[in-house]
Amino acid sequence: MSAKKDQIYMKLYISENPAAKSADISRRIAADDMILTSSLPTTAGSRMLKGYMSLFGAEVLTRLDNAGFTLAGKANVGEFAVDLLGETSYFGAVETDGKLSNAAAELLKAGEVSAVITLDVNGYPRRAAAQNGLISLKPTYGTVSRFGVIPAACSGDTVSIMANDTAAVSEIFAVIAGHDDKDGTSHPEAVCETAKTAAVPIKRIALPVNLTEGTNEDVKGKLAAFTASAEAAGIEVVKVESDIIAVSNIAWNILMSAEVCNNVSRYDGVKYGYRAENFSGIDELYTNSRTEAFGELIKSVIIFGSETLSADKYNKQYDKALRIRRLIVEAFAELFSEYDAVLLPACSALSYGEEIRADKYAVYTENRFTAPASITGLPAVVCGSVQLIGRAFSDGSLLAAAAKITESEGK
Amino acid sequence: MTLGYLISLEQINQLSLTDRQREEIIAFFAARDAELERLYRFDTADTERMVHVMPIMTVVREDKAVQLFTREALQAAAPETDEGYWCVPRVLE
Amino acid sequence: MKYETVIGLEVHVELATDSKIFCSCSAGSYGTEPNMHVCPACCGMPGMLPVVNKRVIDFGMKAGMMLNCHINRTTTFDKKNYYYPDLPSAFQTTQWFAPIAVKGLVEIKTSTGKKGIRIKQIHMEEDAGKLVHDIREDTTHIDFNRTSVPLIEIVSEPDLSSAEEVEAYLDRLKTLLRYARVAECEMAHGTMRCDVNLSVRPEGSNVLGVRSEMKNMNSIEAIKRAIDYETFRHIDAIENGTEELVQETRRWDDIKGMSFAMRTKETAGDYRYFPDPNVMPVVIDDKWYDGIKSSLPEFPEVRFERYTTELGLSEYDARRLTESIALCECFEAACKVTGNPKDCVNWITSEVMSILGVRGITYDQLKLDGNALGELIKLVSDSKVSRVNGRKILDAMFDDGTVSPAEYAASEGLIISTDTDLIDKVVAEVVAADPKSVADYKGGKEKALMALFGKCMRQLKGNCDPQVLRKALIAKINE
Repeated sequence: MSAKKDQIYMKLYISENPAAKSADISRRIAADDMILTSSLPTTAGSRMLKGYMSLFGAEVLTRLDNAGFTLAGKANVGEFAVDLLGETSYFGAVETDGKLSNAAAELLKAGEVSAVITLDVNGYPRRAAAQNGLISLKPTYGTVSRFGVIPAACSGDTVSIMANDTAAVSEIFAVIAGHDDKDGTSHPEAVCETAKTAAVPIKRIALPVNLTEGTNEDVKGKLAAFTASAEAAGIEVVKVESDIIAVSNIAWNILMSAEVCNNVSRYDGVKYGYRAENFSGIDELYTNSRTEAFGELIKSVIIFGSETLSADKYNKQYDKALRIRRLIVEAFAELFSEYDAVLLPACSALSYGEEIRADKYAVYTENRFTAPASITGLPAVVCGSVQLIGRAFSDGSLLAAAAKITESEGK
Repeated sequence: MTLGYLISLEQINQLSLTDRQREEIIAFFAARDAELERLYRFDTADTERMVHVMPIMTVVREDKAVQLFTREALQAAAPETDEGYWCVPRVLE
Repeated sequence: MKYETVIGLEVHVELATDSKIFCSCSAGSYGTEPNMHVCPACCGMPGMLPVVNKRVIDFGMKAGMMLNCHINRTTTFDKKNYYYPDLPSAFQTTQWFAPIAVKGLVEIKTSTGKKGIRIKQIHMEEDAGKLVHDIREDTTHIDFNRTSVPLIEIVSEPDLSSAEEVEAYLDRLKTLLRYARVAECEMAHGTMRCDVNLSVRPEGSNVLGVRSEMKNMNSIEAIKRAIDYETFRHIDAIENGTEELVQETRRWDDIKGMSFAMRTKETAGDYRYFPDPNVMPVVIDDKWYDGIKSSLPEFPEVRFERYTTELGLSEYDARRLTESIALCECFEAACKVTGNPKDCVNWITSEVMSILGVRGITYDQLKLDGNALGELIKLVSDSKVSRVNGRKILDAMFDDGTVSPAEYAASEGLIISTDTDLIDKVVAEVVAADPKSVADYKGGKEKALMALFGKCMRQLKGNCDPQVLRKALIAKINE
């Protein structure tokens, strides 16, 4: 890890705090740049917030600090964490050996930190974990406070944990999960506590095969390996089909783009953040600042999000997506009446080639694997490069199953 | 999605796209609209919309005034302030 | 051709809470230094989440109940999107899909009789900041103190048809909302603002004409002037083709006495409303609902009836009292102590109102303890304290709300002396010292008696029943 400033932006804002350097690795954590810190800048991967110093830090970091963890620094993130591939950070895409990588994953693989706190908006942490053989937990929506987190798509944004093994994830989850009065979408304390336990063991897993379409051999191989290990551990894996779950990302793209558009409208060059140098009049101040400071993806998300809320489109799009959401939740509920978890891929390939990066539409629909858990708020664990989704509050059970299936035989 | 409509969307969001970006977005809308058709295969006439994924209700707090930060701290990163106000170019009303 | 004017009002009322609607900043912003009541949430910084102030829901319900509305027992918040420098996040959190109250009715009385004005809905929302344009020529200065202060917007149906009716309606809203103690409703402070939607049509027609909306009027007089002007402008346009009427927002310039078309972003059409994912639905259960309902004050007219028929007050006195709920409550508490409503209303309309006037306190700001007032009134009516000294004690009670009238009178030596020996002694001294006045009185000059009376009173420090003193004085003179 070079100390050069550019590369620092690429991977990490290194904390000047001497304790951070000397802390034992098991106590060192990082947070991606959607998580606000008062001691280090928080940029959301955007030129708009370059150098932004928040007046307050995230609740989860406060809890971790109280529990004896040290924040070693911040990890680069795609602009507002919308981009699944993680390429759109203003400060540069992270690459390893010429291949697109992910800052949080690199930090973990390099042994710099034991866990990274990320914001799962559209699934990038799950995708990164799958492609790097790491563990990621997107907790049940509402079990981890979003106070002090840069908002993207609030109805699904979830503070998540990435680590090298399930034990580290569990340890962090135990500290950060819990009720917070400052977050109006936070569950009561007792409910958060149940999410930490492994109360209901995972015995039967459903695998919606129509959702494995479009994945390459590597991913199919991981699904097969996972299935085999599960069955060896006495867990049944049953093939099913679900049409409605397969359109999760179409609905999520609508909801997410509308909410992101609304959440970034506050960045206007007036109160803080990037302001254009040349403008004449308030209209140009707004337009020049926002046009210069936002990347192309965010600009198109803003346009899409705005269109979907237009008076004449609202019913056919946004409102429709809200109802589709209910159908998806009901479809999962139906599956959970027979099964304890749903197995899905987390990405279409274990490493993205040129084709997917060149096809903007392929990039746009790559979130079809991560959207089901995003739109429903259900917990999702990535382990063995695949994804397990469970009932609400079954986070502990999913982690236990992940440990059993992918870690017990040294997999 | 027409160019005119796209420009009006830019305006209400205070953005100004390049011609290339506009072409790409218009093409994208066409692809997206085709995808939307897949949603319409599902009948939602009797389905209530789901705004919140979790059944949490009535989160309220006591009416008590608390000052968290000073004006100085809040305006530390401001591009332009004057006598305690944030400043922008003169707005005509 | 005779025309009728069709008017609908959107009245924004600032709720009298201590903190803002979605954050804990102080809600009182009138007259403060800019940006002193601001936090990251209400100035558009990322990371804080909105948590609803319970009292805002309480007040929203109360307002709805006072205006005879149906209360929506599940009420939700939505976002309204547009750009303007007084809106730090470029959206306003308001209620679009499920407002707190709908379908109400307000009764007004004008020179043409009684009329019911239907309320379409009441919704809760956050206020925007304040823009100041005249500090520097090329700059607009922004103050976010007022951002996120809780408002209710009261939307009427277009049932109003004249400036007089509009004034009666606004006065009625003011009375009811002040009665329920949910708002100050002072247009001069900006705690009540009114947008007027006006159109004209041929008398008897039931098709609505082209509507113009006027914003930014700071007083009822300005509103009346604006209505008269707009009515004229509309009719002129229709009859004489002076201009083409379009549906638009206009700004009223009270100094010029004219309205002008506005050309701002505020009038942008599509607000792209959508439900706020960060604020969970507020469900009002029976306990909460009933609690608010039972806390509502008696309506002013009901009190007026009771005061005139049961308590025997004059209509004039009853009307003065029912102007303010604070006056009524003080009055009723005092009556409980004295059992004499006429006495109490007399004290309130003379002494109390006089002190309020001198001290610049409005009726609604009255904090006088009605029980203590009752005690004081009784002290005077029982002839234990003179009326003049009673006024002194009242002043002391205004200075210090904990003052007990009886204790204060005793410690300040204001209790009327019933010591006849002392009275006789003083009378004897005064009479002996002023033979000329005695002679003048005996010679028929009443004024001379007053001079002697005054001297005696002064020596007794006013602590004497005037009747008793007068009797003793006359008796002594005639000795």
